[in-house]
Amino acid sequence: MNEIVSDKSWILLERCPIQNEHDIVKARQVVRQFGKEAGMGIVDQTRITTAVSELFRNMFLYAGGGEVLVEKGIVDERNTLIVTCIDQGPGIANIELAMTDGYTSGGGMGYGLPGSKRLVDRFEIYSQVNKGTTIRVMKWK
Amino acid sequence: MEANTEIKNAKVRIEHIEDVLSSVAAGDLDIRIESEIEDDLTGVEQAINLLIDDLTHELKKSIKMKEDMEDKLRKIQDQQKTILQQQEDLMELSSPVSKVWDNILILPVIGTLDSQRTQIMMENLLLKIVSTGCTTAILDITGVPTVDTQVANHLLKTVTAARLLGAECIVSGISPAIAQTIVHLGINLSNILTKATLQSAMIYAMKKNEQLVDGKVKTNFTDIDDIQL
Repeated sequence: MNEIVSDKSWILLERCPIQNEHDIVKARQVVRQFGKEAGMGIVDQTRITTAVSELFRNMFLYAGGGEVLVEKGIVDERNTLIVTCIDQGPGIANIELAMTDGYTSGGGMGYGLPGSKRLVDRFEIYSQVNKGTTIRVMKWK
Repeated sequence: MEANTEIKNAKVRIEHIEDVLSSVAAGDLDIRIESEIEDDLTGVEQAINLLIDDLTHELKKSIKMKEDMEDKLRKIQDQQKTILQQQEDLMELSSPVSKVWDNILILPVIGTLDSQRTQIMMENLLLKIVSTGCTTAILDITGVPTVDTQVANHLLKTVTAARLLGAECIVSGISPAIAQTIVHLGINLSNILTKATLQSAMIYAMKKNEQLVDGKVKTNFTDIDDIQL
């Protein structure tokens, strides 16, 4: 598990705080909008929106909120929409377990993280217990 | 001797200036320095008077600005109150449950399903199931743009609760994009009855209730003859 590094050539499109359920909806709409602007089809738009929705909800439920960066850039020679979720929550002790289908620590369905990973093209996670979690998802266009 | 008097006079005038300045500092802006003699000190006195004038003007301006700001703040607060009120109203409005046919309820869901709204939605549906005695309910999610695991979980719970009351739920309006997303997420909705459109859900429900036989609508009402579909 390596720390998540950003590329300087990426362009920051929007920075959204996640503090309440309304922020989740707003940030989700922002991601959908940028997906649309990047030329994604309706299926890809729905996928990235649903994937980030899971992540935003986790931030809100387990970390008490956090911040979301929406960026665009070139990754592996492809136009990519990059969404990074940063929180200062309790962290994830066992990432392997958290990425297992059906495992939940908070009464959910247990498909949030693994499902979100399946919906995007690249999924990076970095977490330190008691310090916080950073998750980055990317979707090619 | 003369010089002595002049110095004495000057001292008195400077004391007067000090008095005026401390009055101004205490907030009395109407006071001005008065002098009968014209000499070098008069210029200083007039300059101080001008400064007091300017100060008065600026102070009045800032008081007015403060009032304007407070007024605006009040307006914004009022607007916020209205928005909150409307949000609550919307919450109530956006979960209507209607009986569309004998034994069939429809709950169209539009917008985002957060936990609070789902709670209201579920309550409305369950109450209506009990009060009408309907055994079929259609949850139409055509208007829900994003179905994530939480929304799916809420739907599952609602369907299960309705089942406990003896009603069967049909979830309709799942778009192709949402269907693919649900599959990728890994959510198992196979124990929920789903249909692509509200129309097919309605036809299914009516067939199940034997209200639609061979393409003809049967009703219990005597004043309506069988309606040709």
